[in-house]
Amino acid sequence: MNGTVTVEGLSKSFPGTSTPVLDDVNLSVEAGSCTALLGPSGAGKSTLLRAVSGLEVPDAGRVLVGGQDMAGVKPERRGMAMVQQRPLLFPHLNVLDNIAFAGTVRGVPKRTARVDAAEFLDLVQLEGFGRRQVTALSGGQAQRVAIARALAARPSVLLLDEPFSALDPELRSAMHALLAELRRRLNPTILMVTHDRSEAAVVAENIALFSGGRILQHSSVELMYSRPASLEASRLMGGANEIPGTVCNGSHHSALGVLPLPCDTAWPTGPGILLARQESIEVSAADGAGLQATISGLQGMGPRRLVTLDAAGVVLRAEVPWGRGLAVGENVTMHIPTSALAVVDDSDTAHLYADADERPSLTSRGRAALTGVGH
Amino acid sequence: MALTLPPDVGVPLSWPSQPGNGLRRSRGLGRALRVLLALALALWFILPLVPLALWAFADRWSFPAVLPQAWGWDGVRTALAQGAVPAFGHSLLLGLLVSAFATPLGVLAARALAYHRVPFAPAVSVMLFAPLALPAFVAALGLNVVLLRLHVPAFAGVVLLLMVYALPYTSYTMRVAYGAHDLAIEEEARLLGASPWQLMWRVQLPLLAPALARAAFLAFLVGWSDYVITLLVGGGTIVTVPLLVAAAAAGTGNDATVALLSAAAVLPPLVLLLGLGRFGRRPNGGRP
Repeated sequence: MNGTVTVEGLSKSFPGTSTPVLDDVNLSVEAGSCTALLGPSGAGKSTLLRAVSGLEVPDAGRVLVGGQDMAGVKPERRGMAMVQQRPLLFPHLNVLDNIAFAGTVRGVPKRTARVDAAEFLDLVQLEGFGRRQVTALSGGQAQRVAIARALAARPSVLLLDEPFSALDPELRSAMHALLAELRRRLNPTILMVTHDRSEAAVVAENIALFSGGRILQHSSVELMYSRPASLEASRLMGGANEIPGTVCNGSHHSALGVLPLPCDTAWPTGPGILLARQESIEVSAADGAGLQATISGLQGMGPRRLVTLDAAGVVLRAEVPWGRGLAVGENVTMHIPTSALAVVDDSDTAHLYADADERPSLTSRGRAALTGVGH
Repeated sequence: MALTLPPDVGVPLSWPSQPGNGLRRSRGLGRALRVLLALALALWFILPLVPLALWAFADRWSFPAVLPQAWGWDGVRTALAQGAVPAFGHSLLLGLLVSAFATPLGVLAARALAYHRVPFAPAVSVMLFAPLALPAFVAALGLNVVLLRLHVPAFAGVVLLLMVYALPYTSYTMRVAYGAHDLAIEEEARLLGASPWQLMWRVQLPLLAPALARAAFLAFLVGWSDYVITLLVGGGTIVTVPLLVAAAAAGTGNDATVALLSAAAVLPPLVLLLGLGRFGRRPNGGRP
């Protein structure tokens, strides 16, 4: 079965909850691609994954895999496999038989299924672990076995529900590398739930950003950071700088002055919030060319520092590497690259505009609703 | 493969059975007290069986002799003459039938209460436990009339009532088991291609086998050891081991027979219990 996954108008509510867990969700994922379902806890990501797998029956909408409507198709017939946060290995089977499970329930002779399982065990670099009890595995090993078990089912769609969130950072990086290698070899379509922006960016090409049961934006990782579709999307992607102002002739006018906007987008004239990623803002000595600012706060962030800047009464944040001595109260020059800028509607005041009812919302890619995958 | 993962063979997951947990280790006086307590408990269970074993083969044992003055097989001969073999057969059949019916019913009730929205679930739970609160004598007397009017055969009536009395044990045991059972594992099995039938045989049954064995054992005990319901509903036509023991104990000079029957009555449950300890554990996946 072709691994293209299409979700159309999917809605789901649970008894006792006032708001739907999924509210008219639309999503299209290309075969062989990896899409991260990103969002805060309770946003509906896992429910979408369960609805796609057939473990939840949606109230409305449909799921298509390879163009085939999955309504009424039982989970075991959908050609999918899922790896969850917990490995969920069968405790009564050893490692090899866990991996051979999918083969044996399909009717493959046990011996053949075990030979096949041993190859997948090699693939996740656990050669020689086949006869072990699953209780004798460490967390990382168990998760690797779970991945091997899922892959041995030859799924056209692999569903990952926060599979690495319980692992330590080093092991998680190793699992990301393993996943990349497995994708290169087997090329399944992957839908991966995560609440970790960094993980989504490392593992997936595309991100579907969830909030309150809806998809706020579905686009490439790059666009998700550089062109958020709304203020909420920007905040969920970690954007820290929002400067109110007005767009006029392709530039944003605010207390910071006139900042030219990226010319790849037609920016309509009118009020708009300027977004500037904190990672892109450069801070240098006060005598350089650029916007003048005063450091009002410093906070360590591991390999980088978060610098709070006061520029003409506007508070901005910039992430800068260690190495240069910075002090609170110091005057500096900051430079915001044009490519790091985007403008969106102010969600709090957009309804007050004269033509609020007619016009689509202003997004960082112009005044048009974003639904499809952007590349 | 060019990819290199960290060795990751370090610390396996910690399990409660792992030795070396400092909080559970007792030393000095604590250890001595623990051993003493274990011995006292063992004596508590074994001591009552010693006089039974002695009496069973004592042809003569008068006060104040410490041990029997004459050993022999009188007790065995009398027990066999009084119908010990058919009584054992009846008890065994009763225990097995009660177990065979009450265990699946307990499973169904427990699964419904654990995983499904049962209307008035608390009331249903209380109802399942109600037989424990109702004296068997009252139930037997009250329902015997109904069973007679419905022309239910005596043996079927006894099995039916004992099954109701076994249901609290089986349903409770299985509810505890389902409480600890992870449904996510079943979902994984479904997604890996297991049909509902394969799911039951290859995942549910192996994982729930220990609890099923416990529930079946408890139900067997209800049937095996019952006296009141078998006597009243059976109307004396079904002679089981407890009935035979009671009849022998009511007479005089039957000490050896009573002791022999009582000691023998312990054996089948004991064998089952040992089997439960040996085979009733969750099957382990492979060797380390």
